[in-house]
Amino acid sequence: MNGFLYGVALQWKLDLRSKSLLITCYIVPLIFFLLMGGIFTSVMPEMGSTLIQSMIVMCVSMGAFIGLPPSLTETYGSDIKKVYKANGVPICLGLVTMFLSAFVHLMIACAVIVLLAPILFEASLPTQLPLFFPALAIYMIVSLSIGSVLGLTVKNQAKLTMAAQLIFLPSIMLSGIMFPVEFLPDFLETIGLIFPASWGYRLMLDNGFCFENLWYLIFIFFAAVIVCGIVLKKQKAK
Amino acid sequence: MMNPAVQVRGLKKSYGNSIVLNGLDLEIEKGEIFALLGVNGAGKTTALECIEGLRKYDNGTIAVNGKMGIQLQSSSLPAHIKPMEAVRLFSKWNKTKIDFTMLNALGIQETTKKQYIQLSTGQKRRLHLALALIGNPDIVFLDEPTAGLDALGRVSLHEQIRKLKSRGKTIVLASHDMAEVENLCDRIAILSNGNIAFCGTAAELTDKIGEKYFIHVKTRQGNNTFETDNIEDTLISLLHDLRQKEIHILDIKVDRGTLEQHFIEMARRETE
Repeated sequence: MNGFLYGVALQWKLDLRSKSLLITCYIVPLIFFLLMGGIFTSVMPEMGSTLIQSMIVMCVSMGAFIGLPPSLTETYGSDIKKVYKANGVPICLGLVTMFLSAFVHLMIACAVIVLLAPILFEASLPTQLPLFFPALAIYMIVSLSIGSVLGLTVKNQAKLTMAAQLIFLPSIMLSGIMFPVEFLPDFLETIGLIFPASWGYRLMLDNGFCFENLWYLIFIFFAAVIVCGIVLKKQKAK
Repeated sequence: MMNPAVQVRGLKKSYGNSIVLNGLDLEIEKGEIFALLGVNGAGKTTALECIEGLRKYDNGTIAVNGKMGIQLQSSSLPAHIKPMEAVRLFSKWNKTKIDFTMLNALGIQETTKKQYIQLSTGQKRRLHLALALIGNPDIVFLDEPTAGLDALGRVSLHEQIRKLKSRGKTIVLASHDMAEVENLCDRIAILSNGNIAFCGTAAELTDKIGEKYFIHVKTRQGNNTFETDNIEDTLISLLHDLRQKEIHILDIKVDRGTLEQHFIEMARRETE
Protein backbone atom coordinates (compact mmCIF):
# COMPACT_ATOMS: atom_id res chain seq x y z
CA MET A 1 0.00 0.00 0.00
CA ASN A 2 2.89 2.27 0.88
CA GLY A 3 4.35 1.76 -2.61
CA PHE A 4 0.96 2.31 -4.20
CA LEU A 5 0.36 5.63 -2.37
CA TYR A 6 3.91 6.78 -3.11
CA GLY A 7 3.27 5.91 -6.78
CA VAL A 8 0.08 7.99 -6.86
CA ALA A 9 1.79 10.97 -5.16
CA LEU A 10 4.77 10.66 -7.52
CA GLN A 11 2.49 10.49 -10.56
CA TRP A 12 0.71 13.64 -9.33
CA LYS A 13 4.06 15.46 -9.30
CA LEU A 14 5.12 14.00 -12.68
CA ASP A 15 1.85 15.24 -14.21
CA LEU A 16 2.64 18.78 -13.11
CA ARG A 17 6.24 18.50 -14.38
CA SER A 18 5.21 17.11 -17.77
CA LYS A 19 2.97 20.17 -18.21
CA SER A 20 0.47 18.16 -20.27
CA LEU A 21 -2.00 17.74 -17.39
CA LEU A 22 -1.03 21.12 -15.94
CA ILE A 23 -2.24 22.76 -19.15
CA THR A 24 -5.31 20.60 -19.74
CA CYS A 25 -6.53 20.36 -16.13
CA TYR A 26 -5.73 23.84 -14.88
CA ILE A 27 -4.47 26.51 -17.27
CA VAL A 28 -6.80 26.16 -20.29
CA PRO A 29 -10.02 25.29 -18.37
CA LEU A 30 -9.47 28.08 -15.84
CA ILE A 31 -8.70 30.66 -18.53
CA PHE A 32 -11.79 29.47 -20.40
CA PHE A 33 -13.77 29.80 -17.16
CA LEU A 34 -12.51 33.34 -16.55
CA LEU A 35 -13.31 34.46 -20.12
CA MET A 36 -16.55 32.60 -20.77
CA GLY A 37 -17.83 33.12 -17.23
CA GLY A 38 -17.72 36.87 -17.82
CA ILE A 39 -19.26 36.61 -21.31
CA PHE A 40 -22.00 34.12 -20.39
CA THR A 41 -23.21 35.97 -17.32
CA SER A 42 -23.21 39.38 -19.01
CA VAL A 43 -24.92 38.20 -22.25
CA MET A 44 -27.35 35.80 -20.54
CA PRO A 45 -27.54 36.56 -16.79
CA GLU A 46 -29.77 33.49 -16.27
CA MET A 47 -26.73 31.28 -17.08
CA GLY A 48 -25.39 32.20 -13.66
CA SER A 49 -27.49 29.38 -12.25
CA THR A 50 -25.69 26.73 -14.37
CA LEU A 51 -22.28 28.39 -14.86
CA ILE A 52 -20.48 26.15 -12.35
CA GLN A 53 -21.82 22.93 -13.92
CA SER A 54 -21.04 24.17 -17.47
CA MET A 55 -17.47 25.15 -16.68
CA ILE A 56 -16.90 21.88 -14.82
CA VAL A 57 -18.04 19.86 -17.83
CA MET A 58 -15.55 21.79 -19.97
CA CYS A 59 -12.74 21.30 -17.43
CA VAL A 60 -13.38 17.57 -16.89
CA SER A 61 -13.77 16.86 -20.62
CA MET A 62 -10.49 18.58 -21.40
CA GLY A 63 -8.53 16.91 -18.60
CA ALA A 64 -9.97 13.45 -19.20
CA PHE A 65 -10.00 13.30 -23.01
CA ILE A 66 -6.98 15.46 -23.87
CA GLY A 67 -4.82 15.44 -20.71
CA LEU A 68 -4.84 11.83 -19.50
CA PRO A 69 -4.48 9.74 -22.71
CA PRO A 70 -0.96 10.94 -23.76
CA SER A 71 0.50 9.86 -20.39
CA LEU A 72 -1.06 6.42 -20.81
CA THR A 73 0.18 6.12 -24.39
CA GLU A 74 3.69 7.10 -23.22
CA THR A 75 3.65 4.28 -20.66
CA TYR A 76 1.75 1.47 -22.35
CA GLY A 77 3.00 2.16 -25.88
CA SER A 78 6.64 2.02 -24.78
CA ASP A 79 9.10 0.00 -22.67
CA ILE A 80 7.95 1.79 -19.49
CA LYS A 81 5.33 -0.92 -18.93
CA LYS A 82 8.15 -3.48 -18.57
CA VAL A 83 9.11 -1.75 -15.33
CA TYR A 84 5.95 -3.14 -13.72
CA LYS A 85 6.64 -6.71 -14.84
CA ALA A 86 10.32 -6.48 -13.92
CA ASN A 87 9.40 -5.43 -10.38
CA GLY A 88 6.58 -7.91 -9.98
CA VAL A 89 3.81 -5.31 -9.72
CA PRO A 90 0.52 -5.59 -11.65
CA ILE A 91 0.60 -4.07 -15.14
CA CYS A 92 -2.58 -2.11 -14.36
CA LEU A 93 -0.73 -0.13 -11.68
CA GLY A 94 0.29 2.61 -14.13
CA LEU A 95 -3.30 3.04 -15.29
CA VAL A 96 -4.63 3.18 -11.74
CA THR A 97 -2.02 5.71 -10.52
CA MET A 98 -2.49 7.96 -13.57
CA PHE A 99 -6.27 7.73 -13.24
CA LEU A 100 -6.19 8.69 -9.54
CA SER A 101 -3.66 11.45 -10.11
CA ALA A 102 -5.79 12.97 -12.90
CA PHE A 103 -8.87 12.62 -10.67
CA VAL A 104 -7.19 14.65 -7.91
CA HIS A 105 -5.96 17.30 -10.38
CA LEU A 106 -9.44 17.67 -11.87
CA MET A 107 -11.09 17.78 -8.45
CA ILE A 108 -8.77 20.65 -7.46
CA ALA A 109 -9.54 22.56 -10.67
CA CYS A 110 -13.29 22.01 -10.20
CA ALA A 111 -13.07 23.17 -6.57
CA VAL A 112 -11.42 26.38 -7.80
CA ILE A 113 -14.33 26.90 -10.23
CA VAL A 114 -16.91 26.25 -7.48
CA LEU A 115 -15.17 28.70 -5.15
CA LEU A 116 -14.49 31.49 -7.66
CA ALA A 117 -17.68 31.47 -9.76
CA PRO A 118 -19.92 33.02 -7.08
CA ILE A 119 -17.28 35.62 -6.20
CA LEU A 120 -16.31 36.65 -9.74
CA PHE A 121 -19.56 36.21 -11.66
CA GLU A 122 -22.25 36.04 -8.98
CA ALA A 123 -22.99 32.51 -10.13
CA SER A 124 -25.28 30.44 -7.89
CA LEU A 125 -23.83 27.57 -5.94
CA PRO A 126 -25.57 24.20 -6.44
CA THR A 127 -28.41 24.08 -3.90
CA GLN A 128 -27.73 20.43 -2.98
CA LEU A 129 -23.96 20.45 -2.39
CA PRO A 130 -23.91 16.97 -0.68
CA LEU A 131 -25.34 15.53 -3.93
CA PHE A 132 -23.42 17.82 -6.28
CA PHE A 133 -19.99 16.50 -5.30
CA PRO A 134 -20.85 12.79 -5.67
CA ALA A 135 -22.40 13.66 -9.06
CA LEU A 136 -19.21 15.48 -10.02
CA ALA A 137 -17.07 12.54 -8.85
CA ILE A 138 -19.17 10.05 -10.87
CA TYR A 139 -19.01 12.18 -14.01
CA MET A 140 -15.26 12.62 -13.55
CA ILE A 141 -14.68 8.86 -13.09
CA VAL A 142 -16.71 8.05 -16.22
CA SER A 143 -14.89 10.68 -18.31
CA LEU A 144 -11.50 9.47 -17.08
CA SER A 145 -12.45 5.88 -17.89
CA ILE A 146 -13.12 6.95 -21.50
CA GLY A 147 -9.79 8.81 -21.50
CA SER A 148 -8.17 5.58 -20.26
CA VAL A 149 -9.65 3.61 -23.16
CA LEU A 150 -8.29 6.23 -25.57
CA GLY A 151 -4.80 6.16 -24.01
CA LEU A 152 -4.60 2.37 -23.98
CA THR A 153 -6.00 1.67 -27.42
CA VAL A 154 -4.57 4.46 -29.61
CA LYS A 155 -0.79 3.98 -29.84
CA ASN A 156 0.08 6.90 -32.08
CA GLN A 157 0.14 10.44 -30.60
CA ALA A 158 -1.16 12.08 -33.81
CA LYS A 159 -4.09 9.66 -34.05
CA LEU A 160 -4.67 10.10 -30.34
CA THR A 161 -5.02 13.88 -30.72
CA MET A 162 -7.60 13.33 -33.47
CA ALA A 163 -9.54 10.71 -31.53
CA ALA A 164 -9.53 12.89 -28.40
CA GLN A 165 -10.93 15.84 -30.36
CA LEU A 166 -13.66 13.61 -31.82
CA ILE A 167 -14.91 13.03 -28.28
CA PHE A 168 -14.02 16.39 -26.73
CA LEU A 169 -15.64 18.75 -29.25
CA PRO A 170 -19.09 17.09 -29.42
CA SER A 171 -19.01 16.77 -25.63
CA ILE A 172 -18.67 20.54 -25.35
CA MET A 173 -20.90 21.59 -28.24
CA LEU A 174 -23.78 19.13 -27.83
CA SER A 175 -24.08 18.67 -24.08
CA GLY A 176 -26.00 21.87 -23.41
CA ILE A 177 -23.23 23.74 -21.61
CA MET A 178 -22.74 26.37 -24.34
CA PHE A 179 -26.42 26.76 -25.22
CA PRO A 180 -29.58 24.84 -24.28
CA VAL A 181 -29.94 21.51 -26.10
CA GLU A 182 -33.49 22.50 -27.06
CA PHE A 183 -31.93 24.94 -29.57
CA LEU A 184 -30.17 22.08 -31.37
CA PRO A 185 -31.66 20.13 -34.30
CA ASP A 186 -33.14 16.81 -33.10
CA PHE A 187 -30.41 14.65 -34.65
CA LEU A 188 -27.65 16.67 -32.97
CA GLU A 189 -29.49 16.46 -29.66
CA THR A 190 -29.60 12.67 -30.09
CA ILE A 191 -25.89 12.53 -31.02
CA GLY A 192 -25.14 14.62 -27.93
CA LEU A 193 -26.66 11.90 -25.77
CA ILE A 194 -23.94 9.46 -26.87
CA PHE A 195 -21.37 11.50 -24.94
CA PRO A 196 -21.25 11.35 -21.14
CA ALA A 197 -20.97 15.14 -20.89
CA SER A 198 -24.74 15.54 -21.54
CA TRP A 199 -25.55 13.06 -18.78
CA GLY A 200 -22.94 14.38 -16.37
CA TYR A 201 -24.16 17.94 -16.86
CA ARG A 202 -27.76 16.96 -16.09
CA LEU A 203 -26.61 14.86 -13.13
CA MET A 204 -24.87 17.86 -11.56
CA LEU A 205 -27.79 20.30 -12.01
CA ASP A 206 -30.08 20.94 -9.05
CA ASN A 207 -32.44 17.98 -8.55
CA GLY A 208 -30.56 16.11 -11.31
CA PHE A 209 -29.10 13.33 -9.17
CA CYS A 210 -31.43 10.50 -10.10
CA PHE A 211 -31.20 7.09 -11.81
CA GLU A 212 -32.64 8.54 -15.04
CA ASN A 213 -29.43 10.59 -15.44
CA LEU A 214 -27.16 7.99 -13.90
CA TRP A 215 -27.72 4.69 -15.71
CA TYR A 216 -25.97 5.64 -18.93
CA LEU A 217 -22.88 6.84 -17.03
CA ILE A 218 -22.76 3.55 -15.11
CA PHE A 219 -23.09 1.64 -18.39
CA ILE A 220 -20.27 3.62 -20.04
CA PHE A 221 -18.04 3.16 -17.00
CA PHE A 222 -18.41 -0.63 -16.94
CA ALA A 223 -17.95 -0.84 -20.71
CA ALA A 224 -14.73 1.20 -20.40
CA VAL A 225 -13.49 -0.97 -17.52
CA ILE A 226 -14.05 -4.12 -19.62
CA VAL A 227 -12.20 -2.63 -22.61
CA CYS A 228 -9.27 -1.52 -20.41
CA GLY A 229 -9.17 -4.98 -18.80
CA ILE A 230 -9.04 -6.71 -22.19
CA VAL A 231 -6.31 -4.37 -23.51
CA LEU A 232 -4.17 -4.82 -20.39
CA LYS A 233 -4.66 -8.58 -20.45
CA LYS A 234 -3.47 -8.65 -24.07
CA GLN A 235 -0.42 -6.54 -23.16
CA LYS A 236 0.38 -8.90 -20.27
CA ALA A 237 0.08 -11.96 -22.51
CA LYS A 238 2.62 -10.66 -25.04
CA MET B 1 26.29 -30.57 -7.24
CA MET B 2 25.35 -26.89 -7.06
CA ASN B 3 22.15 -25.82 -8.82
CA PRO B 4 22.83 -23.55 -11.79
CA ALA B 5 21.61 -19.97 -11.49
CA VAL B 6 19.68 -20.29 -14.74
CA GLN B 7 18.69 -23.44 -16.58
CA VAL B 8 16.91 -23.25 -19.93
CA ARG B 9 15.70 -26.35 -21.76
CA GLY B 10 14.17 -26.50 -25.25
CA LEU B 11 13.10 -22.85 -25.30
CA LYS B 12 11.02 -22.01 -28.37
CA LYS B 13 9.66 -18.65 -29.41
CA SER B 14 8.22 -17.51 -32.73
CA TYR B 15 6.82 -14.21 -33.94
CA GLY B 16 4.28 -15.22 -36.57
CA ASN B 17 6.11 -17.44 -39.03
CA SER B 18 9.53 -16.30 -37.94
CA ILE B 19 11.24 -18.70 -35.51
CA VAL B 20 13.50 -16.72 -33.18
CA LEU B 21 14.39 -19.38 -30.60
CA ASN B 22 14.36 -22.97 -31.74
CA GLY B 23 14.81 -25.26 -28.75
CA LEU B 24 17.44 -23.22 -26.91
CA ASP B 25 19.37 -25.03 -24.14
CA LEU B 26 21.44 -22.99 -21.73
CA GLU B 27 22.94 -23.28 -18.26
CA ILE B 28 24.43 -20.37 -16.34
CA GLU B 29 26.45 -21.12 -13.22
CA LYS B 30 26.12 -19.19 -9.98
CA GLY B 31 28.60 -16.35 -9.52
CA GLU B 32 29.78 -16.12 -13.12
CA ILE B 33 29.59 -13.31 -15.64
CA PHE B 34 27.91 -14.80 -18.66
CA ALA B 35 27.44 -13.11 -22.05
CA LEU B 36 24.92 -13.80 -24.77
CA LEU B 37 26.30 -12.85 -28.18
CA GLY B 38 24.76 -12.91 -31.60
CA VAL B 39 24.26 -10.84 -34.72
CA ASN B 40 21.27 -8.46 -34.86
CA GLY B 41 18.06 -10.47 -34.82
CA ALA B 42 19.75 -13.60 -33.44
CA GLY B 43 17.31 -13.59 -30.52
CA LYS B 44 19.52 -12.34 -27.66
CA THR B 45 16.98 -9.88 -26.28
CA THR B 46 14.10 -12.33 -26.81
CA ALA B 47 16.01 -15.05 -24.94
CA LEU B 48 16.88 -12.65 -22.11
CA GLU B 49 13.32 -11.35 -21.85
CA CYS B 50 11.91 -14.90 -21.75
CA ILE B 51 14.32 -15.79 -18.93
CA GLU B 52 13.50 -12.56 -17.10
CA GLY B 53 9.78 -13.33 -17.35
CA LEU B 54 9.08 -10.22 -19.42
CA ARG B 55 8.05 -12.18 -22.51
CA LYS B 56 5.87 -15.26 -22.95
CA TYR B 57 7.48 -18.19 -24.79
CA ASP B 58 5.88 -20.95 -26.83
CA ASN B 59 7.59 -24.01 -25.40
CA GLY B 60 10.38 -25.19 -23.11
CA THR B 61 11.28 -24.75 -19.46
CA ILE B 62 13.15 -22.01 -17.64
CA ALA B 63 14.38 -22.37 -14.06
CA VAL B 64 15.88 -19.34 -12.31
CA ASN B 65 17.37 -20.06 -8.89
CA GLY B 66 17.48 -16.75 -7.09
CA LYS B 67 16.04 -13.27 -7.07
CA MET B 68 16.35 -11.42 -10.37
CA GLY B 69 17.37 -7.82 -10.98
CA ILE B 70 16.73 -6.52 -14.47
CA GLN B 71 18.48 -3.55 -16.05
CA LEU B 72 15.98 -2.22 -18.55
CA GLN B 73 16.70 -0.19 -21.66
CA SER B 74 17.03 3.60 -21.54
CA SER B 75 13.45 4.22 -22.65
CA SER B 76 11.86 2.54 -19.67
CA LEU B 77 11.35 5.43 -17.24
CA PRO B 78 9.02 8.45 -17.45
CA ALA B 79 10.82 11.49 -18.89
CA HIS B 80 10.26 13.74 -15.87
CA ILE B 81 11.06 11.39 -12.99
CA LYS B 82 14.11 12.27 -10.85
CA PRO B 83 16.67 9.52 -10.11
CA MET B 84 16.01 9.39 -6.37
CA GLU B 85 12.24 9.30 -6.94
CA ALA B 86 12.71 6.25 -9.18
CA VAL B 87 14.99 4.68 -6.56
CA ARG B 88 12.40 5.27 -3.78
CA LEU B 89 9.56 3.92 -5.93
CA PHE B 90 11.49 0.75 -6.83
CA SER B 91 12.58 0.19 -3.23
CA LYS B 92 8.96 0.46 -2.06
CA TRP B 93 7.82 -1.97 -4.75
CA ASN B 94 10.59 -4.39 -3.76
CA LYS B 95 10.03 -3.74 -0.03
CA THR B 96 13.75 -3.16 0.56
CA LYS B 97 15.76 -0.40 2.20
CA ILE B 98 17.74 1.95 -0.02
CA ASP B 99 21.43 1.03 -0.19
CA PHE B 100 23.06 4.48 -0.21
CA THR B 101 26.56 2.97 -0.46
CA MET B 102 25.59 1.36 -3.76
CA LEU B 103 23.96 4.59 -4.96
CA ASN B 104 27.11 6.56 -4.07
CA ALA B 105 29.31 4.04 -5.88
CA LEU B 106 27.19 4.48 -9.00
CA GLY B 107 27.11 8.27 -8.64
CA ILE B 108 23.32 8.43 -8.45
CA GLN B 109 23.23 11.00 -5.68
CA GLU B 110 25.13 13.49 -7.85
CA THR B 111 22.15 13.59 -10.20
CA THR B 112 19.31 14.10 -7.70
CA LYS B 113 18.16 17.47 -9.05
CA LYS B 114 18.01 16.39 -12.68
CA GLN B 115 15.02 14.81 -14.36
CA TYR B 116 15.52 11.55 -16.28
CA ILE B 117 15.28 13.35 -19.62
CA GLN B 118 18.19 15.63 -18.59
CA LEU B 119 20.58 12.79 -17.66
CA SER B 120 23.50 11.84 -19.90
CA THR B 121 23.60 8.34 -21.45
CA GLY B 122 26.12 7.23 -18.82
CA GLN B 123 24.00 8.57 -15.94
CA LYS B 124 20.94 6.80 -17.36
CA ARG B 125 22.82 3.50 -17.64
CA ARG B 126 24.10 3.81 -14.07
CA LEU B 127 20.61 4.66 -12.82
CA HIS B 128 19.17 1.60 -14.57
CA LEU B 129 21.89 -0.56 -13.02
CA ALA B 130 21.11 0.92 -9.58
CA LEU B 131 17.40 0.20 -10.09
CA ALA B 132 18.20 -3.38 -11.09
CA LEU B 133 20.19 -3.80 -7.86
CA ILE B 134 17.60 -2.30 -5.50
CA GLY B 135 15.98 -5.59 -4.54
CA ASN B 136 19.43 -7.05 -3.70
CA PRO B 137 19.12 -9.67 -6.48
CA ASP B 138 21.16 -12.84 -6.84
CA ILE B 139 21.12 -12.71 -10.64
CA VAL B 140 21.49 -9.44 -12.54
CA PHE B 141 20.44 -9.20 -16.19
CA LEU B 142 22.06 -6.47 -18.27
CA ASP B 143 21.01 -5.76 -21.86
CA GLU B 144 23.69 -3.79 -23.74
CA PRO B 145 24.92 -2.23 -20.45
CA THR B 146 27.52 0.08 -21.99
CA ALA B 147 25.88 0.96 -25.32
CA GLY B 148 26.40 4.66 -26.04
CA LEU B 149 28.94 5.17 -23.23
CA ASP B 150 32.33 6.81 -23.66
CA ALA B 151 35.53 4.98 -22.66
CA LEU B 152 35.51 6.35 -19.09
CA GLY B 153 31.87 5.46 -18.63
CA ARG B 154 32.52 1.93 -19.88
CA VAL B 155 35.49 1.41 -17.54
CA SER B 156 33.49 2.71 -14.58
CA LEU B 157 30.54 0.41 -15.34
CA HIS B 158 32.86 -2.58 -15.86
CA GLU B 159 34.30 -1.93 -12.39
CA GLN B 160 30.80 -1.97 -10.90
CA ILE B 161 29.99 -5.24 -12.70
CA ARG B 162 33.20 -6.86 -11.41
CA LYS B 163 32.34 -5.69 -7.87
CA LEU B 164 28.96 -7.38 -8.21
CA LYS B 165 30.67 -10.62 -9.21
CA SER B 166 33.02 -10.34 -6.23
CA ARG B 167 29.92 -10.12 -4.01
CA GLY B 168 28.75 -13.46 -5.39
CA LYS B 169 26.16 -12.17 -7.86
CA THR B 170 25.55 -13.89 -11.17
CA ILE B 171 25.64 -11.48 -14.10
CA VAL B 172 24.00 -12.26 -17.41
CA LEU B 173 24.54 -9.76 -20.18
CA ALA B 174 23.75 -9.32 -23.83
CA SER B 175 26.25 -7.19 -25.70
CA HIS B 176 27.60 -6.24 -29.10
CA ASP B 177 30.88 -5.02 -27.63
CA MET B 178 33.31 -7.92 -28.11
CA ALA B 179 36.16 -6.25 -26.24
CA GLU B 180 33.84 -5.76 -23.28
CA VAL B 181 32.77 -9.38 -23.35
CA GLU B 182 36.35 -10.63 -23.69
CA ASN B 183 37.53 -8.53 -20.73
CA LEU B 184 34.57 -9.05 -18.48
CA CYS B 185 32.95 -12.41 -18.99
CA ASP B 186 33.80 -15.86 -17.66
CA ARG B 187 31.78 -17.64 -20.34
CA ILE B 188 30.00 -16.70 -23.51
CA ALA B 189 27.21 -18.21 -25.58
CA ILE B 190 26.83 -17.39 -29.27
CA LEU B 191 23.26 -17.48 -30.53
CA SER B 192 22.67 -18.40 -34.14
CA ASN B 193 19.59 -19.63 -36.00
CA GLY B 194 17.61 -19.74 -32.79
CA ASN B 195 20.02 -21.96 -30.92
CA ILE B 196 23.40 -21.95 -29.19
CA ALA B 197 26.20 -22.27 -31.74
CA PHE B 198 28.89 -22.11 -29.05
CA CYS B 199 28.99 -22.01 -25.26
CA GLY B 200 32.21 -21.81 -23.27
CA THR B 201 35.12 -19.54 -22.38
CA ALA B 202 36.75 -17.11 -24.83
CA ALA B 203 39.86 -19.37 -24.79
CA GLU B 204 37.73 -22.37 -25.76
CA LEU B 205 36.26 -20.38 -28.64
CA THR B 206 39.80 -19.52 -29.73
CA ASP B 207 40.72 -23.22 -29.66
CA LYS B 208 37.68 -24.02 -31.76
CA ILE B 209 37.87 -21.19 -34.28
CA GLY B 210 41.33 -19.66 -34.00
CA GLU B 211 43.20 -21.95 -36.42
CA LYS B 212 45.56 -19.17 -37.51
CA TYR B 213 48.17 -17.22 -35.57
CA PHE B 214 48.69 -13.50 -36.03
CA ILE B 215 52.18 -11.98 -35.65
CA HIS B 216 52.05 -8.19 -35.16
CA VAL B 217 55.45 -6.56 -35.77
CA LYS B 218 56.23 -2.90 -35.08
CA THR B 219 59.38 -1.40 -36.65
CA ARG B 220 60.59 2.10 -37.55
CA GLN B 221 59.33 1.40 -41.06
CA GLY B 222 55.79 0.74 -39.81
CA ASN B 223 53.44 -1.94 -38.49
CA ASN B 224 52.83 -5.30 -40.14
CA THR B 225 50.64 -8.30 -39.33
CA PHE B 226 51.44 -11.78 -40.61
CA GLU B 227 48.92 -14.61 -40.65
CA THR B 228 50.16 -18.21 -40.36
CA ASP B 229 49.21 -21.78 -39.51
CA ASN B 230 52.78 -22.65 -38.49
CA ILE B 231 53.90 -20.25 -35.80
CA GLU B 232 57.42 -21.64 -35.21
CA ASP B 233 58.63 -21.69 -38.83
CA THR B 234 57.04 -18.33 -39.70
CA LEU B 235 58.49 -16.63 -36.62
CA ILE B 236 62.03 -17.97 -37.22
CA SER B 237 62.00 -17.00 -40.90
CA LEU B 238 60.52 -13.56 -40.14
CA LEU B 239 63.19 -12.77 -37.52
CA HIS B 240 65.86 -13.99 -39.91
CA ASP B 241 64.57 -11.77 -42.75
CA LEU B 242 64.38 -8.71 -40.53
CA ARG B 243 67.96 -9.23 -39.27
CA GLN B 244 69.25 -9.65 -42.79
CA LYS B 245 67.60 -6.40 -43.84
CA GLU B 246 68.92 -4.76 -40.63
CA ILE B 247 65.43 -3.73 -39.56
CA HIS B 248 65.12 -3.26 -35.80
CA ILE B 249 62.03 -4.59 -34.07
CA LEU B 250 60.35 -2.13 -31.67
CA ASP B 251 57.59 -4.47 -30.58
CA ILE B 252 56.31 -7.93 -31.48
CA LYS B 253 53.10 -9.70 -30.43
CA VAL B 254 51.62 -13.09 -31.27
CA ASP B 255 47.95 -13.92 -30.77
CA ARG B 256 45.27 -16.15 -32.16
CA GLY B 257 42.88 -13.40 -33.11
CA THR B 258 40.38 -11.40 -31.12
CA LEU B 259 37.02 -12.57 -29.90
CA GLU B 260 35.52 -10.30 -32.53
CA GLN B 261 37.39 -12.11 -35.32
CA HIS B 262 36.30 -15.48 -33.94
CA PHE B 263 32.73 -14.29 -33.58
CA ILE B 264 32.67 -13.08 -37.19
CA GLU B 265 34.19 -16.38 -38.36
CA MET B 266 31.64 -18.34 -36.38
CA ALA B 267 28.77 -16.24 -37.74
CA ARG B 268 30.14 -16.76 -41.28
CA ARG B 269 30.32 -20.54 -40.80
CA GLU B 270 26.80 -20.64 -39.39
CA THR B 271 25.35 -18.78 -42.38
CA GLU B 272 27.15 -21.00 -44.92
